[in-house]
Amino acid sequence: MSAEQELERLLDRCERIYGDVALEEVKAWKAAHPGRPAIGHLPVYVPREVIHAAGALPVALQGGGDQVDIVRGDACFQSYICHLPRSTVELGLQGELDLLEGLVFPSTCDVIRNLSGIWQLLFQGKYVRYLDLPQALNDTGGLFYLEDLEGLMNDVAARANQKPDKAAVAASIRLYNRNRRALQLLYELRAEAPQLVAADEAFLVARAGGQMEVSAHSDLVETFVSLARKRNRRKEDRIRVVAIGAFCEQPPLGLLRTLERSGCYVVDDDLNLGARWIQGDVEPGDFPLKALSKAYLVQSTWASVRFEDEQFRGDQLVARVKALRADGVIFAAPSFCDPALLDQPPLQKALTDANLPFISFKYAENTGQFQGFREQAGTFSDSLKLWGTT
Amino acid sequence: MNPKPQASTGSASNGNPLGASRALAQLLTAGVDVGTGAVKAVVVGFDKSGAPQVVAAHRERIHRRELSTVAKLAFEGALAEAGCKRSDIAYVASTGEGESLDFLDGHFYGMTTHARGASFLVPEARAVMDCGALHARVMIVDEKSRVLRSRMTSQCAAGTGQFLENIARYLGIRADEVGPLSLSAKRAEQCSGICAVLSETDVINMVSRGVATGEILRGVHESIAQRLVRLLRALGAEGTVVLTGGLAADTGLKGAIERGLAADKGVPLRVVAPPLSAWAGAIGAALWGEVRRRRLEQQQAAAATG
Repeated sequence: MSAEQELERLLDRCERIYGDVALEEVKAWKAAHPGRPAIGHLPVYVPREVIHAAGALPVALQGGGDQVDIVRGDACFQSYICHLPRSTVELGLQGELDLLEGLVFPSTCDVIRNLSGIWQLLFQGKYVRYLDLPQALNDTGGLFYLEDLEGLMNDVAARANQKPDKAAVAASIRLYNRNRRALQLLYELRAEAPQLVAADEAFLVARAGGQMEVSAHSDLVETFVSLARKRNRRKEDRIRVVAIGAFCEQPPLGLLRTLERSGCYVVDDDLNLGARWIQGDVEPGDFPLKALSKAYLVQSTWASVRFEDEQFRGDQLVARVKALRADGVIFAAPSFCDPALLDQPPLQKALTDANLPFISFKYAENTGQFQGFREQAGTFSDSLKLWGTT
Repeated sequence: MNPKPQASTGSASNGNPLGASRALAQLLTAGVDVGTGAVKAVVVGFDKSGAPQVVAAHRERIHRRELSTVAKLAFEGALAEAGCKRSDIAYVASTGEGESLDFLDGHFYGMTTHARGASFLVPEARAVMDCGALHARVMIVDEKSRVLRSRMTSQCAAGTGQFLENIARYLGIRADEVGPLSLSAKRAEQCSGICAVLSETDVINMVSRGVATGEILRGVHESIAQRLVRLLRALGAEGTVVLTGGLAADTGLKGAIERGLAADKGVPLRVVAPPLSAWAGAIGAALWGEVRRRRLEQQQAAAATG
């Protein structure tokens, strides 16, 4: 099998996982690991190491995309919130998430918090945990978060009939360190040679990790990167952009493809951000849960769902754009996503001050028409190529 | 299959035959415009002073064939007409639906290329009306070919080349007969200007009532022209309007637009459709390709000198 055929096979598998709301990969894992639970979690960041160490499979729930018709999900939420909670409820009511022994709701935003409450009302008896990620990034916040992690660990271990085990946490941390390094390699390759890895390919490869054992996903990512390096793809004259705002509800594949076909190379993004949240390796040491808690305080990426000074986030974005030699920024946020949309004005001000161009638009996970995005991205690309400094 | 258009050096009145200046060109770029009904490809040559001239223009109808195959055929057709090969072309740019082709250096959005192509063909152009198989769009442009504002027809196909082709098929005439027959009619038989399905039904009824073919076509042209004139007026077009895209060659449509503009008593507009109008997108892509080639070369030189 040639490298390109092998890549196609990998990408087909990842696209199957992307489109599979019935979680067939998870079903297969459970069949191969009798008695072990699968625990779903909502975006953005959940310390999957803890769930894994407790003997369960962490499963990233990413909404229903464009595969689910919302019928009953709309009844639970007002019209002016994002799409993800509606499709998650719809999937739950359809029974697609019955194979999960529990759900973890991180403190991403008010909507996810409300969803955790609605879930408890709709699915009484199912394990639900609201994970309060600390906003006070100091020792007090760290201690509070450590207790939260211990609670999560004990709850999941009880469901897996296992005893909480320090060594298991340390082992899981090492496995996830490897996974983050693999994803880092993938993103570095895109930044270095974006013609070798398209934005939608990177998205699919990274996202597949939400439904499989971490080691299997690390193998997949490493194989993909090594094969993609061998591709003989000509570099086109396109602008380099950083896409920001899609850290929670994910855009449809068609939108990512449209952006790149409109004359852009997306050299960085915040898609699947939870899997890349911790920057660098976590050193488990003698107290691995404490190490995870500390990592959240000092090794987190900057994001709209984590409290930081506005100026800090703006500076970080400008630094990232410059480091990647990007020509501009595309703000692509889900409609009604408070964290992403409230962050846009300060981020845009920072870009304007740094003389960096940007455009912005909104999407929903089930958006099906891309002509408007194509026109915006196409004219943005043309204007930078012909009249900008690119 | 490929009407032999006239070469142009930027003036609508220039009548040099295509290919005559190939030997004088110091540098060549190419543009490939992938439309819904056809793929248009051109090779543009630049002389020592940098003045551009279209040296080859080729068109391939898609006819349900695979798009990338047709695009390659169109590009190779233009290369053959120019007497050159891919390696002679300094920059190949696509436009329209051609962003995924595998022989490109870059891609430009359709508005950007049609504006540039129209300004090249008619330097005094201040509005461009791109009428293709699936969409019609009006752009107001400045003297540097920059699009200042634009508007597109709505989703309905009643106002597009594909619709006119369907009508021609019902009437049993060739596409190139549509314009002259429409112009020769003394009166127009009115049909729906809102919905392509209703219009087609109207036409079938007209045929069964024995209405003359020319009168039916004139009615269809006038219903399409009404929408396009409204777009021009809504955007506040002034001066010269250049028709581009596949329908630019339809003299019946051009006549109907002129009559529509005269009838509404708005600002007088001059409507022109040079022979290379259908290739305006491809020409614009090739011309912008040269701008990019130059800029990239400068960047590489600057990087080399530190």
